[in-house]
Amino acid sequence: MKRILVGALGALALTATAAIAEYPEKEIQGIIQWGAGGSTDTVMRSVTPHAEEALGGTVVMQNMTGAVGAIALNHVAGSAADGYTLLMGAENPMLYKIMGLGDKDYGEFIPISILARGTPILVANPDAPFNDYAEMIAHIKENPGEVKFGSTGPGGLPSVINAMIGAVEGELDVTSVPYDGDGPALTGLQGGAIDVMPAVLGAAIEGIRAGNMKPLAVMDVAANEQLPDAPYVTQFNEAYSTYLPWGPFFGVFVPKGTPDDVVAKLADAYAAGAQHPDFVQLMNDRGFTLMGISGEEADAFLTKWQQGTAWLLQDAGLTKASPEEFGIARPGE
Amino acid sequence: MTALMDFLTVVTQPDLLLLVGLGTFAGVYVGAIPGLSVTMAVSILISFTFAWDVYPAISLMIGIYMGGVYGGSRTAILLNIPGAPSAIATALDGFPMAKRGEAGTAIGVTTVMSFIGGFLGIGVLALAAPLVSDFALKFQPRDYMLLAILGILLVGSLSQGSLVKGIFAGALGIAIGAVGRDPLTFAERFTFNFQILEGGISFIAVMIGMFGVSEALLQLHHVDKDAVRQKISRIVPSLSTVKKHLPLSLQTSAIGVTIGALPGTGGDIAALMAYDHAKRVTKNPERPFGDGAMEGLVAPETANNAAVGGAFIPMMTLGIPGDAVTAIMIGALFIHGLNPGPMLMIDQPDMFWFIVGCLVMANCFMLLFGLTGIKLFTKIVEMPRSVLIPLIMLLSIVGAYAVNNAIADVYWMLGFGIFGYFMRHYGYPLGPVILGVILSRLLDDNWRRAIISEREDLGAFFAGILTSPLSLVLFVAVILIFVSQTPIWGRAKSQLFKRRDAQS
Repeated sequence: MKRILVGALGALALTATAAIAEYPEKEIQGIIQWGAGGSTDTVMRSVTPHAEEALGGTVVMQNMTGAVGAIALNHVAGSAADGYTLLMGAENPMLYKIMGLGDKDYGEFIPISILARGTPILVANPDAPFNDYAEMIAHIKENPGEVKFGSTGPGGLPSVINAMIGAVEGELDVTSVPYDGDGPALTGLQGGAIDVMPAVLGAAIEGIRAGNMKPLAVMDVAANEQLPDAPYVTQFNEAYSTYLPWGPFFGVFVPKGTPDDVVAKLADAYAAGAQHPDFVQLMNDRGFTLMGISGEEADAFLTKWQQGTAWLLQDAGLTKASPEEFGIARPGE
Repeated sequence: MTALMDFLTVVTQPDLLLLVGLGTFAGVYVGAIPGLSVTMAVSILISFTFAWDVYPAISLMIGIYMGGVYGGSRTAILLNIPGAPSAIATALDGFPMAKRGEAGTAIGVTTVMSFIGGFLGIGVLALAAPLVSDFALKFQPRDYMLLAILGILLVGSLSQGSLVKGIFAGALGIAIGAVGRDPLTFAERFTFNFQILEGGISFIAVMIGMFGVSEALLQLHHVDKDAVRQKISRIVPSLSTVKKHLPLSLQTSAIGVTIGALPGTGGDIAALMAYDHAKRVTKNPERPFGDGAMEGLVAPETANNAAVGGAFIPMMTLGIPGDAVTAIMIGALFIHGLNPGPMLMIDQPDMFWFIVGCLVMANCFMLLFGLTGIKLFTKIVEMPRSVLIPLIMLLSIVGAYAVNNAIADVYWMLGFGIFGYFMRHYGYPLGPVILGVILSRLLDDNWRRAIISEREDLGAFFAGILTSPLSLVLFVAVILIFVSQTPIWGRAKSQLFKRRDAQS
């Protein structure tokens, strides 16, 4: 049996090498992990046409939603490793294992390109009785239980930021109100249903410009180009520099086992796509930091991201299973 | 003055006008096919129109949107299969009309009423967008919860015959909606550790199964019977008919705009609420509701098209989508280098007026395409059943697969189709099931948000309801509607009248 399997795999590898001589020779499928109109969707639909030009092929994108993106991830992981099925996703799968959401993460994939990274920002309703991060912390300490934070479920950006705040400032007594995404939560914030929301800068930037919400602190170690006047959090507390810069990211992946030259071709195409002025402009406008990394650099980034975030959540007591169980080392060890 | 010029951009540039027209035409047909949704069409268009300028891209999308919302009514009337969730209520009275051979009249009325509703929605968008969006933002989680309860009380209107069976169907729908990973905590609910259940059950699949497949199965009973000949001599409704229903259409359009403008609720809920409203206020319909009452067509169709204008209100003023389609359009604007958000109307008012212009034109095209080509559509129902039934099955399968590109959805659709067949057979209404699925999340999420905000203190929760005017109004409405459906109300009313009779 084993021999047959090895033989079959060998034959497969042979045909695969033969086939990639002129890759891509048919349509490539791009599976977007999140719904139409969301940030991942927008990023992927705006970079892919430029990558297609460089690739000389067609990428047909479709949204496959459900189970926090796990359905799309499992679908691509289970498809042939021939470079004709791409996974277009965000950072969440790196936390599936410790959150009990699935048994696969990007470890089963080869990163084609980590396109961009977002910057988190703490925003508040304009009527909130505090105007920056320091005043907010003081207010929470004086009025325990009164301030309402928006959240997007375990493993989401707000939960990581909350864990970070907890690690730096000690436990804060706030009420976390769950929403199914930062869009709806920011809507709730503007209507006064919640007071503070840790959101990705791109989602909040237009609201801040219009004065519909106020920035308390950009969760970064330096001021943001898009919001130069907004304070950044290490101005208030140096201790954050242990964890920052941190942010959600977007990337394109293929299953492990995809032939090297196919990976190289795709990586080149997406690297070219990410440099297109239109895409750069879009990323800048939305406050994303362009990365466009692949290969070992991307692997190193993913490992570091996963270690830092997983242990932060573990220490905050938010995980279902310890990162240790999955061989995720504590950062610095 | 510049506003007027921007508004007229679409009319003065023939290519843009052509795209709106093309989009509307395609939308009517996309909308009419169950499972092929406007949301899907618009998201495909994003990639398709990537290299275009922003104006042509938006023109095409708006056309598809307007046409698609209307198109859902076609198959609802002709085949009893709503093309989209917002056409569920339309089937209740539209299909009985088609069974009498009055499909032409029914389509004519829905077209004109959709046109009127569409215009009222656009009017509110153009004239009062900031006001309405301020109002929509005032809705707190508890208000959404109360709105969902109001919606659930519609079960009474949607169940013909036994109310108990209606309640059972509604409860089943709510349970179906709860299956899968809970989006707030990611806890698994009703999944029994099956991975296939983790993603939940697509409600579009449930809808297509319950209405499409079960209808096809039911039709098998009389496969040899001749199809009803349709009278299509009088399609455009007379002025007096339109006039007669104008007061009702104004009210239901108001419902449509408001529900459409609320982020998180859309045309589907608006149409059902409008239907219920019509049933409540119409004292003497020419025919009873559920039997082909004209009012039962007027209400949902005005409301769901008015909801289109409504959905654009938070999108244009705040960058918050009013429904799934406007969410995608926001993404499209980003891709084309615009920054949709509160500043859009200030920085680029031309975009706002251009969109209003496109909507107006799309609405006119909808009237045009709606009133023509009816002959072709009615031919569909006149087809022999041995052709029609396999066609329905095929469309149902393609539609269910296309929603998420998942074969599991096809199995769900077939399963619910067979289940729906037996439900019909035993006199269980199907409308409440879909109502339950639609409202399940709205009710569940917002109840939890509301009570978590109050730190799980019921006292504070009710204090919140009683001190906020908006919540109080909704709460009183819930109580009144609930009581009016119980026998106590009838008894109280009859006693009241008896006393009055005795006095006079």
